[in-house]
Amino acid sequence: MKIDDETTDVMIGGYLSKAAADEDYESVLHCGARLWGAVVVSKDLEGNLTVEESDHAVEEGAAGLASVGFVVGLFAPPLLAATAIGAVIGAAGGEALHKKLEKGIGEKAGDTIPIGGAGLIVAYPRSAAETVEPAVTRAIQKVVGEAGGKHVKALKSALADAQTKMAEGTS
Amino acid sequence: MGGVDRSHLPIRRPAFAGTANRTLDGSQPDWNLIGHPTPPEGAPNVLLVLIDDAGFGNASTFGGPIDTPNYTRIADGGVKFNRFHVTALCSPTRAALLTGRNSHAVGFGSVGEFAGGFPGYSATLPRDCAPLPRILSDNGYSTAAFGKWHLTPDGQQGPAGPFDRWPNGWGFDYFYGILGGGSSQWDPCLAENQKIIGTPAEFYDDENPYYLPDAMADKTIEWVHDIRAQDAHKPFFVYFSTGCSHAPHHVGADWADKYKGKFDQGWDALREETFARQKELGVVPADAVLTARDDAFPAWDSLSDELKAFYARQMEVYAGFSENADHNVGRVIDAIEELGELDNTVILWVWGDNGASMEGTITGSFNELTMQNGIPLTDEMQLQLSERYGGLDAWGAAIMDPHYSAAWAWAGNTPFQWGKQVGSHLGGTRNPLVVHWPDRVTEAGSQRSQFTHVIDVAPTILDIAGIPHPETVDGIDQEPMHGTTFTASLTDGAAPEHRTQQYFETVGNRAMYKDGWWLAVKTERIPWVLTPAAIQPYAPGVWDPDRDPVELYYLPDDFTQANDLAAQHPEKVEELTALFWEEAERYKVLPLLATMSTFFGMLPPIPEDTKFEFRGDVQNVMSGMIPRVYNRSYSITADLVIPDGGAEGVIVAEADHLGGFTLYVKDGKLTHTYSMMGVFIFQQVAEEDLPSGDVTVRMEFAADGATPATGGEVTLFIDDRPVGKGRMDHTVPVRFSGYAGMDIGRDNGGVVDRAYEDKKPFAFTGTVKKVVFDLNLHTSAQDELDLHASAHQGQVAHGLSA
Repeated sequence: MKIDDETTDVMIGGYLSKAAADEDYESVLHCGARLWGAVVVSKDLEGNLTVEESDHAVEEGAAGLASVGFVVGLFAPPLLAATAIGAVIGAAGGEALHKKLEKGIGEKAGDTIPIGGAGLIVAYPRSAAETVEPAVTRAIQKVVGEAGGKHVKALKSALADAQTKMAEGTS
Repeated sequence: MGGVDRSHLPIRRPAFAGTANRTLDGSQPDWNLIGHPTPPEGAPNVLLVLIDDAGFGNASTFGGPIDTPNYTRIADGGVKFNRFHVTALCSPTRAALLTGRNSHAVGFGSVGEFAGGFPGYSATLPRDCAPLPRILSDNGYSTAAFGKWHLTPDGQQGPAGPFDRWPNGWGFDYFYGILGGGSSQWDPCLAENQKIIGTPAEFYDDENPYYLPDAMADKTIEWVHDIRAQDAHKPFFVYFSTGCSHAPHHVGADWADKYKGKFDQGWDALREETFARQKELGVVPADAVLTARDDAFPAWDSLSDELKAFYARQMEVYAGFSENADHNVGRVIDAIEELGELDNTVILWVWGDNGASMEGTITGSFNELTMQNGIPLTDEMQLQLSERYGGLDAWGAAIMDPHYSAAWAWAGNTPFQWGKQVGSHLGGTRNPLVVHWPDRVTEAGSQRSQFTHVIDVAPTILDIAGIPHPETVDGIDQEPMHGTTFTASLTDGAAPEHRTQQYFETVGNRAMYKDGWWLAVKTERIPWVLTPAAIQPYAPGVWDPDRDPVELYYLPDDFTQANDLAAQHPEKVEELTALFWEEAERYKVLPLLATMSTFFGMLPPIPEDTKFEFRGDVQNVMSGMIPRVYNRSYSITADLVIPDGGAEGVIVAEADHLGGFTLYVKDGKLTHTYSMMGVFIFQQVAEEDLPSGDVTVRMEFAADGATPATGGEVTLFIDDRPVGKGRMDHTVPVRFSGYAGMDIGRDNGGVVDRAYEDKKPFAFTGTVKKVVFDLNLHTSAQDELDLHASAHQGQVAHGLSA
């Protein structure tokens, strides 16, 4: 089956540590399901950014995930649902997200990953959902976006859907 | 000084008994004039040791899993008391220990951090209750305190004093340690006598880093040697009060790793194992029953393997930390033995001041201050945050400020229920005591079961020294000590009970003991929960304490409080309830829950100062004394002189990477980093370089609103020109740190921004002329009042964990 032929799901997971994101990343890669790609992005305590990507789509001759701005899928809030007495964490709105998408990839990733935090993005065909989603066990917050259509457009749309859900705090 | 009147202190100098003629012709000197008070003949040295936040079932000496060879050595050469009692909170126990009086009666119904508006909660020692070290000092003892103090209110821990609330003011000739309730063991903000000396220089020595427990022993030994170098006979009183085992649990991996795998069985099994050993040792009667686990603690078997590993490491570190404390006390004892004075030194060693602490909540934490700031983190979040800072191998290192799960504390309090803060039950009120005095205690290795209380320690020391309790001190009539001596029980295991009655009260949890009967009244609030829903039932007009559920135990038959007899003996419940209220009134316990009055609108005046100036050489401003930047808009403005070629370094920094802020220059760029308790870290960097010459930089935080932990926008300015900005979605609502201070021109101790960790303390290479904090008041008076209330409620949460 080609990427264009079925619904594309994009999962975003937010983490408070790189180790937890790496664990889920490895788990996803080895879950046996067909993936379009997976990216783990993290920023250490000194502010250094690390991106690790497994771009299955490239193997299939499709455009690379990075080409659709994949690493911008993560943004800082909200990793936690409620963190302090009486505090309700604000979330970036859709408008802000679109602005982020227009920036350069590296800059965007740097802007959107909190210091010490990490994120995992996994794209996969809907048929793999039952295998992929249980493999992600350590995300503090996990959302899944979906879209159909041509693969680049589908990835973008699914990513945007996931981002919106992340911003709204839904899963 | 025979015939000296010791009932009025200071002891009066003798009148001149010689002759002073117009010339030396016929004059007779009186050399007594230049003498000084000496203790009664034979008065021994005293070493008083207090371990922090530990339970009855922690030390191996009392059947626990933590190896305490020195405690056992002293117990084997002395006597151990298995019915010794404390209050269920840090400062109250310390106040009672050092005054011989009930804690509320001397103003310490709660912790020293916050001084309340009721007599029993003022955190201010009445002048008619002179403490033990003052009495000993005035009677000729050399006195010194090392380690944790925790009897000085927040806001009074700086160079302006007042110093009568500091250790020297309580009668210690010398003090080296921490004024607050808890501290990093690696980079404490130290006090020495009447000065905050900050982070020790050895902190910066990677080869041989500073460690407070080691330094405490070093300093104690050095002080004793110095005393002996001057005076071969003068007795000394050493109060050795460890920061261990209070959070943060800091110890080298070599100590923690001794316990690898020893707690994999979990807290339920650990309690059973400890209980069996306690029976073997006889510190618990053979017919005692192990109390059951409350539903507040999860069953170990209900946890995932990942969490079991996480929690097991928490306890391994706690155990190593505690064994290290035993080791360092042992070093002090060895030094006294080497002087040949061990036989004439009375050692009183209390293992725990309030039972083990449950303030780590169920999850434990990579940073104990997250709880005190009301940040609800799940077990998975805690696990990931510990991974962020190095994982389980780094638990105990300086990069985290860890606390363990409350369930480990409960296990440490075996065989009893509950723990710290729960004054109604033995888990929070019964701790081991060992007394060693070879000159007088001849039944070495025996056990005593007389009901004793921490208020009895000071009268016992005075009794042993032959020093009467003074009638007046500085001309002020003294309130008698409430404790009584238990000296008789040191030499006679069959000595009659000297204490037949005692009240207990901590945060509304209360008990009345009389003739073996123990009335327990625990509020239904879980000790580590301070949510509005948990607090609301105790509001004025809502709470009727006489409707609280009561339990009744008869301790001679029920060592552990396992058999509630309240239903069978309503008359005893009534009698003890009435007696409690009498005692509560007598000893200034009332009003109950005065500690929490700020939750119910009883607030101190709102501070009026909104501008705070710090010159460039100010360092080590204690964490409770920094400008109140929490939950509001504020700015930090710094006047700098930048040399040609630029400058780098810290302009101002508060606390460290686990909570704090720093404004600094690196690579020519003005940078602001803000750590929201190590959970969120925000950073803003100027987009242009800092110019040379006289420069004014500013960081402005514009809060979203008048809410705790409010987010907001940060803007950086150079000479009033905006040069950078960014958002902070969350800010610290209560307090950045329990111990780390604020510095101008450098970042002492652990740094706020790890990006300059390799340059710490990253002193500014230009000149910081001054730093000014301007606090913006909220436009609504009600908002200000609400945040004022919130700040003080947060302080309660902090204080109760200290």
